[in-house]
Amino acid sequence: MSATTAPEAALSVLPRADGSAKYSYAGYTVTASVNGPIEAQRKDEHAQEAYVDVIVRPAAGVGGTRERHLESLLQSSLSQLILVKNFPRMLIQVVLQVEAVPDNDYENTKLVQASLNFPIIPALLQTAVLGLLSAVVPMRATATSTVAAVVFQDGAKRVVVDPSPKELAAARSVHVLAFTSHDELILAESEGDFSVKEWDDVYDAAAKICCQSGAGNADTAMDLDGPVNAGPDMRQFLNSTLEAKVAADLYWK
Amino acid sequence: MPREAEPSLNEKQFVLQALKEDVRLDGRDLDQYRPLELTFGDQHGVAEVTLGKTKVLVKTSAEVTVPYPDRPLDGIFTIATELSPMTAPSFEVNRPTETEVLLARLLEKTVRRSGALDTESLCLVAGQKVWSVRVDVHVLSHDGNLTDAACFAVVASLRHFRKPDTSMEGGVLTVYTPAEREPVPLSWLHSPFCISWSFYGDMGEIAVLDATWVEEQVRVGSCTISLNRHGEICQIAKLGGTPVEAVALLQCTSVALAKAKELSGLLDTKLAEDAKRRDKGGLLAELSAENDR
Repeated sequence: MSATTAPEAALSVLPRADGSAKYSYAGYTVTASVNGPIEAQRKDEHAQEAYVDVIVRPAAGVGGTRERHLESLLQSSLSQLILVKNFPRMLIQVVLQVEAVPDNDYENTKLVQASLNFPIIPALLQTAVLGLLSAVVPMRATATSTVAAVVFQDGAKRVVVDPSPKELAAARSVHVLAFTSHDELILAESEGDFSVKEWDDVYDAAAKICCQSGAGNADTAMDLDGPVNAGPDMRQFLNSTLEAKVAADLYWK
Repeated sequence: MPREAEPSLNEKQFVLQALKEDVRLDGRDLDQYRPLELTFGDQHGVAEVTLGKTKVLVKTSAEVTVPYPDRPLDGIFTIATELSPMTAPSFEVNRPTETEVLLARLLEKTVRRSGALDTESLCLVAGQKVWSVRVDVHVLSHDGNLTDAACFAVVASLRHFRKPDTSMEGGVLTVYTPAEREPVPLSWLHSPFCISWSFYGDMGEIAVLDATWVEEQVRVGSCTISLNRHGEICQIAKLGGTPVEAVALLQCTSVALAKAKELSGLLDTKLAEDAKRRDKGGLLAELSAENDR
């Protein structure tokens, strides 16, 4: 599984959209295009704030209720982040095109009815945030997100961050958590059986990945024998991606 | 949804005047393509084509389904072309525009109706089980000449695609996972390519290949020729616009043949490169159960 590799991102990959980003991590590849603020349709127009339209498109097959569910989750999270009150009667359109999902060599998947489920949320949210930053949409905070699964192995419980499709199939419960850059929890979705203790463990593991800022390399020695296998430092990744982009754009100065 | 901005009168006249003087905005010759790039994904059947600023991603997938009752021996082959607001904000979800319908029709005529994919080979159990091959075309960015880019990507994706291997033993069908048996390629008969011409001038006397979005907006007519590298023409679509002389069209067709040969050559080299990249240690030949014909 490619979970050991670092996340990769490219900003402004599409020439005609206001902002765009391509993000790939742990087998997921998502491209986002962000247009906005643009004129809203009459039915979406809101007198006080901008409407955030999120469209999730699967790589293969037609989108169904699962995609609509993902869209509603992302829409509510992104509306909290974007300063929607600044653009009344406007529309901010986020299109998320899934390009690749990790495949499981040990089973054949049904593809014609696409079935995205929520381990893909971190990739979608991360791409959307990068796209919004690329489109210079004013935001209250940025967000980082991760997925964790609780698996039973050799009679012991273990929290696995960024689980592979095989681990997901065997997991007791799967959790998706997202944090803003002010360390506030903005999205928490869970599936399966779990206790409050397990959720707390997952929360700690996720917070460690999403909310560390900068000094991510100080505790690598500790991670080696820690109970949780450490993922990447998402906030550091977000910062460095944007720093690289700004440095490249302002090269002429 | 916002309307797509049309080029201003000045812009239009600038482009047209330049074309009358045999000059294009990006300095290309009239019958020259923009740089065409093709990349394959990690999974089989994922192809991304970049033609200048036009970008198309195509993914092919397959699953076992029940055939249509009137065609019990044929597999199902569909090409889904849905333009999302990613292409341009003027496109809406679930409301097909003219561009989308025309693109879908052209791809259908070029790839499906020309018999490029042998649908009979997709049949597993007559009347009960067939493969359903689905091609999803995602247009990421549209800067003119969507048809050629999309058609090239669809053909590339289908030729790159591998479907799971199957076997029939005592009336029981087994579909093997990629871990059990190496997936097999589709039975592909020929590779058609779309070559689009745009016409300018009062009589449509200036013919331009691979028009950009600005050039597409000021043209008086267009013609898409689909053919393979053997010069077998699958279809010619000239949908309205200014009438063009028959001799000029013949000239267009012969240039199109040269371009189709170029595209075919490019696709073959890219496929060979990709096969070499995947064949680490030269063990792939041993995994295949395919017989030489």
